[in-house]
Amino acid sequence: MRSSATRDVAAWAGVVLCVGLLTPLFPRAAQSDERGGIKLELRPRICTLSASGGQCDTVVHATWRAPDNESLCLVIVGRPEVKRCWENYSEGNYSIELVFSSDLVFQLKDIDLQQVLTSEVLRVIREAIRYRHKRREPWNIFD
Amino acid sequence: MILTVSMAVHANPDDEDCQGPTEDCVAVGRWNISAALGAGVRTNPLVGGKDIPLVIIPQFSYYGKRFFLDNLDFGFTLAQRGVNTFSLIATPGYDRVFFFRSDLQNFFVGFPDASAPTRAGLVSPGTPGAVKVAPPAPRVTYLAGPEWTFEYGQVSGQLDLLRDATGQNSGAEIRAALSVPLLRSHGTLSANSGFTWKSAATVNYYYRVPIVYSGSAVFDPFVKLAYTLPLSGKWRFNAFAEYEHLGKGIADSPIIAEHGVATVFVGATYAF
Repeated sequence: MRSSATRDVAAWAGVVLCVGLLTPLFPRAAQSDERGGIKLELRPRICTLSASGGQCDTVVHATWRAPDNESLCLVIVGRPEVKRCWENYSEGNYSIELVFSSDLVFQLKDIDLQQVLTSEVLRVIREAIRYRHKRREPWNIFD
Repeated sequence: MILTVSMAVHANPDDEDCQGPTEDCVAVGRWNISAALGAGVRTNPLVGGKDIPLVIIPQFSYYGKRFFLDNLDFGFTLAQRGVNTFSLIATPGYDRVFFFRSDLQNFFVGFPDASAPTRAGLVSPGTPGAVKVAPPAPRVTYLAGPEWTFEYGQVSGQLDLLRDATGQNSGAEIRAALSVPLLRSHGTLSANSGFTWKSAATVNYYYRVPIVYSGSAVFDPFVKLAYTLPLSGKWRFNAFAEYEHLGKGIADSPIIAEHGVATVFVGATYAF
């Protein structure tokens, strides 16, 4: 009995130890797009459209922050007209009104636009409509 | 009962053959509101009863994954198996529409006429030799029970087994009907036929006259021809004619003057 309890305690200790060792890995994985600790945040992060169509028409706020001064540019993939650069700044904000109907990828690139430092996606989610049989009632005036 | 519960647990109410808005399919989680504008009438079989004008007919419905609201009816779909749908429904007692012009069911058929008498009477005041008898004063009732709707080829059908759920009369009704499309081109001409069986308790709740008359269970058959034609945008043309024959237990009541109810309407419907 005592032996069994000891084995259980040992097993749980092993699980806890493994979880404890692995946990620090997850934040790193989530930050894999970031280089040099540069963080990019978007507001809003999601735009929801009805299934019948339409477009997102909203002001998007982009905020970046870096541990050291950086020279970089904010661009949107597929939108060459959008470009905002900073030289020797450790943080920056940019707001722009955008009309879009699919995901937008925001990228922070080096000043030569050669290397992507970090990126974030503003996602477009379309509402999925489900359908079901309508009730047919012969007594109803229009059925 | 076991079968019903089993189906409720295992069946999925989603329709695989409903992939978009059609005549038979409707979006889940959305309100459907429409109004028909036109001219028509529903006859009133009561002695002294005024016919019900049909001018504006609002219609609304909402279908959730299982719950649905269909004008004044509401229900819960237990199971959807191919062309068969099993639901529990609640629906208002119908006959009250002839006694109270302000009955909500009249609103969803036509504009209540404020100038019309609100109650039917057995005799007009001052009728020589008449025995004054208090007419019935039916309240709003709701019937509840299982409903089976099905399709067989082009034919769609419905069977409701209903019982008074409001404790007013303990009556029961069976409603059954078939709908068959006769012509389908740009517009659709369909024929509906069916019946309502009403228990003696239901009949007497509406048509009994104390001391003078007590009715029995009735079988009321009906036929209906309906035509609908999509017009431009959200408009469609509607026309229909219906006749319901009143069974002997109702027709023999001294407060009844006509042995049938006819309804006709021609107009256009706008879906919001």
